[in-house]
Amino acid sequence: MLKRRIMSMGLAVMLAATAMTGCGNSAKSGSSDSADKKVVIYSNADDEAITAMQNALDNNGYKGKYSFEGFGTSELGGKLLAEGKNIEADMVTMSTFYLDSAQKQNNMFKKLDFEVNTIDKFGDYAAPITSQEGAIILNTDLMKELKLTTPTCLKDLTKSEYKGHLSITDVKSSSTAWLLMQALISEYGEKEAQNILKQIYINAGDHIEDSGSAPLKLCRAGEVAIGFGLRHQAVADKEDGQPIDFVDPTEGNFSLTESVAVIDKGDKSNPEAMKMAQCIIENGRKELQQSYPNPLYKGESSDNKNKSKYPRPSQSRLPLNCMRSISSYLMR
Amino acid sequence: MILTVFFVLFLGLPVIRLLCRSFSGEDGGVTLSVYQSVFQQKKFGQALGNSFLIAALAAGLATIVAFILAYTCYYTNLPKRFKNIIRLAAMLPMFLPTITYGFAIIYSFGHQGLITKTLGHTLPFELYGIFGLLVGYSVYTIPVAFLLVSNTMQYIDKKVMIVSKVMGDKAHATFWIAIVRPLLGTLCGAFIQAFFLSFTDFGIPASVGGRFEVVASVLYDQMLGGIPNFGKGAAVAMIMLLPSIVSICLLQYLERFNIRYKKISDAELSQNVVRDVVWSILSVIALVLMLCIFVVIFVAPFVTDWPNKISFSMEHFVSVFTDSDLLSIYGNTLAMAVLSAAAGTLAAYGAALVTARSRMPKWCKGVVEGIAMVTNTIPGMVLGVAYMFVFSGTSLQNTMGLLIICNVIHYFSSPYLMMKNSLSKLNESWETTAGLMGDSWIKTIIRIVTPNVKESLWSVFGYYFTNSCVTVSAIIFLVGSRTMVLTTKIKQLQYLNKFNEVFVLSLLIFFTNLIAKALFAGLAKYKPMRVTQKLFQKKETLC
Repeated sequence: MLKRRIMSMGLAVMLAATAMTGCGNSAKSGSSDSADKKVVIYSNADDEAITAMQNALDNNGYKGKYSFEGFGTSELGGKLLAEGKNIEADMVTMSTFYLDSAQKQNNMFKKLDFEVNTIDKFGDYAAPITSQEGAIILNTDLMKELKLTTPTCLKDLTKSEYKGHLSITDVKSSSTAWLLMQALISEYGEKEAQNILKQIYINAGDHIEDSGSAPLKLCRAGEVAIGFGLRHQAVADKEDGQPIDFVDPTEGNFSLTESVAVIDKGDKSNPEAMKMAQCIIENGRKELQQSYPNPLYKGESSDNKNKSKYPRPSQSRLPLNCMRSISSYLMR
Repeated sequence: MILTVFFVLFLGLPVIRLLCRSFSGEDGGVTLSVYQSVFQQKKFGQALGNSFLIAALAAGLATIVAFILAYTCYYTNLPKRFKNIIRLAAMLPMFLPTITYGFAIIYSFGHQGLITKTLGHTLPFELYGIFGLLVGYSVYTIPVAFLLVSNTMQYIDKKVMIVSKVMGDKAHATFWIAIVRPLLGTLCGAFIQAFFLSFTDFGIPASVGGRFEVVASVLYDQMLGGIPNFGKGAAVAMIMLLPSIVSICLLQYLERFNIRYKKISDAELSQNVVRDVVWSILSVIALVLMLCIFVVIFVAPFVTDWPNKISFSMEHFVSVFTDSDLLSIYGNTLAMAVLSAAAGTLAAYGAALVTARSRMPKWCKGVVEGIAMVTNTIPGMVLGVAYMFVFSGTSLQNTMGLLIICNVIHYFSSPYLMMKNSLSKLNESWETTAGLMGDSWIKTIIRIVTPNVKESLWSVFGYYFTNSCVTVSAIIFLVGSRTMVLTTKIKQLQYLNKFNEVFVLSLLIFFTNLIAKALFAGLAKYKPMRVTQKLFQKKETLC
């Protein structure tokens, strides 16, 4: 009897909770049509960057007036390309090349109405927030255990001693791999770069990953001793006391930028979104630069303990069609 | 009728939209060039072959294990408590989101894995590739296969076994006649379900596939890779739909093996200690192997940083449970799961009634069968992307309603099969008898059929609930800032490399499912008492 009573009570509670959240949702969406609705920001940025942007907004009077939703790069990329202007977000922060292709395909972003004084040229709808560099990542414990020599450059990764202990990302699916490719091409030329890349692929074997963060993940889990990934993530792990270290390859630390863009929703656009974008750029860069030291705007310096050894300006950005041709070459 | 409209709108439309996409060239005209370029990739044919091989192996393994477990539950004289443990343990992998499977396998069998360290040496064979996939896929599909097999097994008349023995059949002949043959349809159904679950999953190959390329990862690369190409992705998805046609034909053929009974009788099983011991050992081995993979999920969150800093710590729990958004996200998850379960049960029951207990024309039943198979073959990711194309800009976008509809469609297949199997085991003449006595078909269904399949209905409800709690591949594209659920939160955390938090939330989902399961099991057994019964009981207690 008691059991039954508990059960029916449980069900009742569950239904009540359902009804309540249901109402909660409708109440929220009901008020969302009014002027004071929150600005929805979709972002693929890492934790450090999101915190920096939130601080910039909170300290300038936007606390509680926005909501950040994090997505993986591929999911958010898919959403941008498929949903276009219909996307729920009022503002996005995303890898710049994705914003570029979404703009080209859907013409979905507003021209920014504030000054964007960048060192390199960007589309008039995008203002860069971070510049992310690639680096070689090491699991120090495993390096010792396997008695591997520390690589100094990307070409070193072709050495046979690393076979089975290396993880990289797949050019087909991750932009992090492009950082590796760019460095090789600029240093060795296209032909030689392809040979080197092929050898690196052979060494990586089972650990050619889809996601940019996977090599670091595998280093952390002790599955591989060496990976190629995003530098700032490795820096954070090292500071956190993990057995992780990193090497700036002599070919250069190439970088990809992430930018903020405001969705053009016609008369449904939330005017606050543009102001918040401006606020992030004007007030957030200082904190952002602590994790992502590369200067992006005129007047910024890169004097920082986290600065990489061989930073490369991002003008040497590779065009998308070049990526395509190389990735199709590797797939042959 | 309503069902048909529902499926046309929410399954047909997105699929057709995708089909168009796969046939349109860069200039917008109709072309086959997309398919050509897909097939020209040398690795595509190989990936397709690999997928067939590994999915079939895993499905075979899952079906065998499911049969062993179900058999132990229904055909041995083991203590009831032991059987209940088996029933629960077989379902446990389903209670965890599939995102965690890959980590669980690497953190168990990898160089620094829990099991590797416990055993003291690494695996004798390569983890990445066939082995990893086989382990991942079969563990992933065993619960579904077990659900289907055991669901049918409870409707098998055990007296047939006694009759067979009395007639002097040999042991293996009895086994075949009384158990395997009546189960044949279901076993194949379970195999096919498991096959397609493996065939379409991309989370497991992404983490442990190694160089063994499967078609689901090709799909992922095309759809959402560094250079997304929806056209090519759509073409790959369409090619992945083809095997479902074969399976529809196969299931139609196997229909003839389904046996109906006038009455299901619980005959006493003969005492046989050897049999009981052998089957229970087999079950225990299977379950231990299956569940040992997940031990790490219960250990890692309590450790400062697995596997590098191993000391007890609650900081991950604190950081997750102090997140102010958690409550609303949890509320969303529960709401989505309960509503998906209610709507899904209704849809599956309705559809199964059409095919199993109505006099609808044959083509009509064929259409329902087809829908069920297609829902099973569409990878969640494809469904999600297709929904984005169709419903963005409509008032459904980012709503709870769309998430629920998506779940109902995405998981329709197994519940439908479960319902159909149970319904077709019931005596066929009930409707006729009731009809003769003046009841309408609807009345018969409500008054006679429904009470008799109550347990199946609750397990379907539970199936939908659980899957809605753990699903991510489709709804990741459909959630909005106000409709975030736990799994999409997990996906965010995973993206930020916060694995310990991922495990904490996985545990939260796990225990939610465990409690829900207990609740549903209780409700399934609950029989409303009549007044006379109550009086009788009172009298007894007074005496």
